[in-house]
Amino acid sequence: MKSWVEKYRPQKLTELIGQEEAVGEVENYLETFPNVRRKALLLNGPPGIGKTTLVHVFAKENEYEIFELNASDLRNKKSMIEKLKPVLEQSSLFNKNKLILVDEIDGLSGTKDRGGGSELVSLIEDTKFPIICAANDAWIQKLSPLRKKVNIIELKDITPAETKNLLKKILEQEKKSINEKVLNQISIKARGDLRSAINDLEAAASMENPEEIFIDERNKKLDIFKAMRHIFQDKANKEMLGTFDKVDMQMDEIILWFEENIPKAYSGEDLAKAYQRLAKVDLFKGRIYKQQYWRFLVYENIFGSYGISQAKGDKEITEFKKYSKPTRILKIWLNNQKHGKKKTIAIKYAKKTHVGYKRIMAQWNEIKHQLKNPMIQKELKLDDDEINYIMKY
Amino acid sequence: MTSEIWTEKYRPKKFDELAGQEAIVKRVGALTNSLNIPHLLFAGPAGTGKSTLALIVVKELFGENWKDNYLELNASDERGIQIVREKVKDFARTKSLGNVPFKVIFLDEADALTPEAQQALRRTMENYAATCRFILSCNYSSKIIDPIQSRCATFRFKLLEKKDVEKVIKRIAESENLEIDEEAITSIYESSEGDCRRSVNIMQSTASVSPKITKDLVSTIASEARPKEIKIVLEYALSGDFKGAREKLLDVMLKESISGQDVIKQMQKEIWNLTIEPELKVKLTEKTGEAEFRIVEGSDPFIQLQALLASFVLAGLGK
Repeated sequence: MKSWVEKYRPQKLTELIGQEEAVGEVENYLETFPNVRRKALLLNGPPGIGKTTLVHVFAKENEYEIFELNASDLRNKKSMIEKLKPVLEQSSLFNKNKLILVDEIDGLSGTKDRGGGSELVSLIEDTKFPIICAANDAWIQKLSPLRKKVNIIELKDITPAETKNLLKKILEQEKKSINEKVLNQISIKARGDLRSAINDLEAAASMENPEEIFIDERNKKLDIFKAMRHIFQDKANKEMLGTFDKVDMQMDEIILWFEENIPKAYSGEDLAKAYQRLAKVDLFKGRIYKQQYWRFLVYENIFGSYGISQAKGDKEITEFKKYSKPTRILKIWLNNQKHGKKKTIAIKYAKKTHVGYKRIMAQWNEIKHQLKNPMIQKELKLDDDEINYIMKY
Repeated sequence: MTSEIWTEKYRPKKFDELAGQEAIVKRVGALTNSLNIPHLLFAGPAGTGKSTLALIVVKELFGENWKDNYLELNASDERGIQIVREKVKDFARTKSLGNVPFKVIFLDEADALTPEAQQALRRTMENYAATCRFILSCNYSSKIIDPIQSRCATFRFKLLEKKDVEKVIKRIAESENLEIDEEAITSIYESSEGDCRRSVNIMQSTASVSPKITKDLVSTIASEARPKEIKIVLEYALSGDFKGAREKLLDVMLKESISGQDVIKQMQKEIWNLTIEPELKVKLTEKTGEAEFRIVEGSDPFIQLQALLASFVLAGLGK
């Protein structure tokens, strides 16, 4: 028996929910190919929103043959060449409508798929056939070379109402019913991921008490604000040690949230103590990294949860505290925007003077006067933007 | 073409021009003359002549063709050992030109590599031993793993003395028609802390303002170069304003692109300039030392620095 996800996968473009714009862009791209400015498309959007389905349905309706690569294929440089190159280079006489789909490109693993990303970039440059890539997050660092070569199409978010509509239609066809409250919960929780919504619906429909589907969920997920409130404000207890397991976030990111918000919860001696303990978390993180001794994770966890909570002693804090998103990453980003030229200048200067560019950046104030000299600017082959930067700062 | 950047224009080109490292120059010179050098490890502070000596070695070995036979990499700039390996591989693939049977790779700041990365480097050194010689430079040889140390002839560069830096400064002053007095020389030497490259840079910056270099001018330029803001960060913390100190710290680190280690070094120095009780100075220094240790061991210097600032707030309150 087919799962509902398979059974109700859209067969026609008209059955796709909320992606008319994206469909139009794909159509436009395929019609004009190869006379396009960027040789490939990148569909960007969260899981289960219909990226892969869109391409398949489109191909079916317009009689394209799809050649597909996804995360299950090993995509290092060698296998990428072996698999894709023959397809890309084949003469177009016999396979007039061929389309290459490279799915889940943000899943290119750093180690196993080494070189795969850069190989994909060079394949795109030479391709005789349209290439469509799909990603959950096209804006991650490792995809930046690829971003320059593709036209990025953002898929539209699917609202809980749209999700609920679809679920209702499925229930109708299956001749089943589920109470409204559960239906709402499923639709909201899915956050636009139709695949998971349909899976949840199928599970809920087969249960005697469909509410139970959320019990497990409630135990599992804890948002970061609640996690902070729990650790910063509740009285320290041993159960806190499990807090980070329930937060759907990497430890590195949790550390950033804590770093930002400790001063909002604590002050004085408590604050100092809490930072000492956060510093311990970082210390063990460094040791894990350097020595690859993973048991240190235990200490990272204890200092990060119980340790920070206990920094305030036996107390609990009942008043409402407002916590906020970490700003450090944003500040770093803004700074890079503003002082990006400093780095490109430092790289040129460093190369000329046999030094590391980081050292040049750190000793900027000692060399910046030299950079005002036009002869030196010429010698370093600085461009206009870089010269402007020097004159401004 | 000669460079307009003085650190390049006046970089020593022959063994006997290198200031302050006579014993090393003699031994390395002899090795170079035999046309067969082992792997070399140059350990010592910044601006004492490590890169310069490496350049002299390759120029002596290869003459005009030195650029074809020499690859310079900086371990703290290159992202990861993988990049280093790939570059080394590409470079080592072709044979050297001329009558020296090997090429030379200079890996600067090799102590920036983690021990694992150094293990990988060691294998790379072995794989290309027939066609390549490595010259590694580092600040501390203790941060280089034993297997690499044992494959290299190690040379320890010492900090330049005042008379060495003075010689360099006077040579440049003469050639650039600058007027400079004894006091100004002392000031340049002191603010660059024996780092010859920094001495020359400070000198060029000063000269870009006036051809008459005085002590006052040097200290204006040099103090501008030193982020004053670190002192402000400390003052915020000691006055009890943690949030202000934290924000200022991040701003300084970003604006001046300085690392956590640069910051803590600066803090340790600034403690002496604060108007506080001697007892407190000792206490703060102790905490700073502890934090510096943790920055080396840990992974995110900014977190360690915040913890330090929070403890300064307490210390400022007499706790």
